[in-house]
Amino acid sequence: MNERGGAPLLSMRQISKRFGAVEALSGVDFEVRAHEVVALVGDNGAGKSTLARMVSGVLQPDAGIIEIEGQQVSISSPSVAHEMRIATVFQDLALADNLDVTANLFLGHELRENGMLQDGRMEQITRDVLAKLASRIPSVRTPLSALSAGQRQSVAIARTLIGDPRLVVLDEPTAALSAVQTAEVLTHIERLRDLGLGVILISHNMTDVRAVSDRIEVLRHGRNNGSFDASRTSFEEILAAITGATHVEPGLRSVG
Amino acid sequence: MSTDLNLVPTGGKLTTGTSWRERFGGLGGNARQYGIFAALVVIILLFQAMTGGRLLYPDNVAALVNQNAYVMVLAIGMVMVIIAGHIDLSVGSVVATIGGVVAISIHDWGLSWYAAVALALVLGAAVGAWQGFWIAYVGIPAFIVTLAGMLVFRGLALAIVSQSIPVLDTTFNGIMANSLPNFLGRVGNADVLTLVIGVLLILATIWAQLRARTALRKHNLAVEAVGVFVMKVVLASAGIGVVAWLLSRSTGGSPIALVICAVLVVAYSFVMGRTVFGRHIYAIGGNRQAARLSGVNTRSVDFWIFVNIGVLAGLTGVIVTSRLGTALAAAGDGFELDAIAACFIGGAAVTGGIGRISGAIVGALIMGVLNQGLSIMNVDPAWTKVIKGLVLLLAVAYDLVSKRRAGTQ
Ligand SMILES: Nc1ncnc2c1ncn2[C@@H]1O[C@H](COP(=O)(O)OP(=O)(O)O)[C@@H](O)[C@H]1O
Ligand SMILES: [Mg+2]
Repeated sequence: MNERGGAPLLSMRQISKRFGAVEALSGVDFEVRAHEVVALVGDNGAGKSTLARMVSGVLQPDAGIIEIEGQQVSISSPSVAHEMRIATVFQDLALADNLDVTANLFLGHELRENGMLQDGRMEQITRDVLAKLASRIPSVRTPLSALSAGQRQSVAIARTLIGDPRLVVLDEPTAALSAVQTAEVLTHIERLRDLGLGVILISHNMTDVRAVSDRIEVLRHGRNNGSFDASRTSFEEILAAITGATHVEPGLRSVG
Repeated sequence: MSTDLNLVPTGGKLTTGTSWRERFGGLGGNARQYGIFAALVVIILLFQAMTGGRLLYPDNVAALVNQNAYVMVLAIGMVMVIIAGHIDLSVGSVVATIGGVVAISIHDWGLSWYAAVALALVLGAAVGAWQGFWIAYVGIPAFIVTLAGMLVFRGLALAIVSQSIPVLDTTFNGIMANSLPNFLGRVGNADVLTLVIGVLLILATIWAQLRARTALRKHNLAVEAVGVFVMKVVLASAGIGVVAWLLSRSTGGSPIALVICAVLVVAYSFVMGRTVFGRHIYAIGGNRQAARLSGVNTRSVDFWIFVNIGVLAGLTGVIVTSRLGTALAAAGDGFELDAIAACFIGGAAVTGGIGRISGAIVGALIMGVLNQGLSIMNVDPAWTKVIKGLVLLLAVAYDLVSKRRAGTQ
């Protein structure tokens, strides 16, 4: 993929962010490589969404460096993120209820020709994408308001397939889903990795996380609290890092 | 609630209101939209009966168009504002201010009629940019900004017009007084040009509908049953035909005001249904946060929506001043309420995200027919207001109740 001697797809170093008095992130390091699913876990308020939103261009760090394939970048807006081929499924499902499935998939990146929307082509692509995900959406023209939670999640995930991304950020993608749908989402995540993409998966569900991720990064109170190889770490070890039973000083991060 | 309902793929029936054909034509397959058209037809027939057929006298039809052009033009801008989740209370005052400047520019500065019209549109854009700036870039709610605008521009109108300024330019006044020239002559009682326009419009409608249907087929999307489709096209054609036939027998033929409104309706339906700008207006009305996260420049969309309604308010200033042949400081009083009422009667949602240009126009026509019919019947204007208020309330109540019922299925 990249010829830069294996520079990671995404590298964030010493990221800090505060909201007024709240120190949401302080000195966080984070890396994602191509062909890799990195889980970002931590308790509520640990700063996971804040970190994800920086990758998506919604928030900017107060301090720290973000690099994409070794080049320092500033992801100053969601459109800039899109241009850098970063796709996001936001935790609070960024979908418009009044628009149909197609319009939601292409929202902000509509196909146009001479200033006119190309609804036909967009609907065609939407159908292809939904078919790929084997999702049960009745019609690409169903307004979102008529869909169930699971179907809405499918739409949110299908959005990541539009625009040829190389890095996909999923913030709690399975929170509202049944077991069957969760399995579908996990399969999709694996497919993204097989396609050579980097994936950031934020989740509360340790089973999901251990099922698909290659590496697990723990955040606690806005700081790194451990980096684990998913295949060689026990459930208890991760939980301990999340709850703070084990405390990991920077530089002494337990691996494996 | 099960999340993996095995929903049957859409069969022969169209269940959504979002194809471009529907967005564009506004005649689309959603019950609410049919409902508004049906309500308009019922109200017309009702008053036609109650006025002993006078409502649809050809000259009354032409007058109906001229008298309501202002609501239609403003309602187009207003429905876009409302879809985006805002409101504009200032348009009535803006109409008065710009009408005043137009009159002064002709009366005192000797501007030609077209320079005056251009000035009105530019001023409208400037007013819209002013308000749009505060709303989009400073983040003050539109309700407040335009409430302030309502006061500011009414005050400016009073300051520059004082009471009234006459406009003696006959071409300018002719914008509203005149009709298209009858250069094809008359056959019997009928203006041929009007009939020709009517036929062309019918053909264009049929062509557009067929084209849309073919496009749906091409993309393997569900189309309406043939019967429904044919009936829709026949009804639309009949509607155009009746209006053209009536107008052709009026004194003037096709009022210029009608041409202006028709061009605006087509142009803006296109903008809302077929352009990225239109799509983004719906998106920010539906979920502003989602639109922003998806990369929509919500500030810019907000800004241009208000520039747009400013331009349309400028045009309305021309329409009103031309119709009266004079600018009044009190002109445009209550226009914002008429336009807002037209939008809501026409199916716009109070919460934003939903509404159509065609709906707003039909809403404006429903109010216009009520006005006209009641005035032909010599009903006291005081009671006309009461009736219009109740119609607005019932229309929105009907909407909410039917949505609630749909939601609990
Ligand atoms: N926009 C914001 N304004 C103020 N505080 C915020 C904002 N976003 C997040 N926070 C705070 O930052 C901390 C981290 O939040 P978040 O990243 O959402 O956590 P997580 O996703 O891990 O649950 C929390 O204390 C939260 O209250
Ligand atoms: Mg979160």
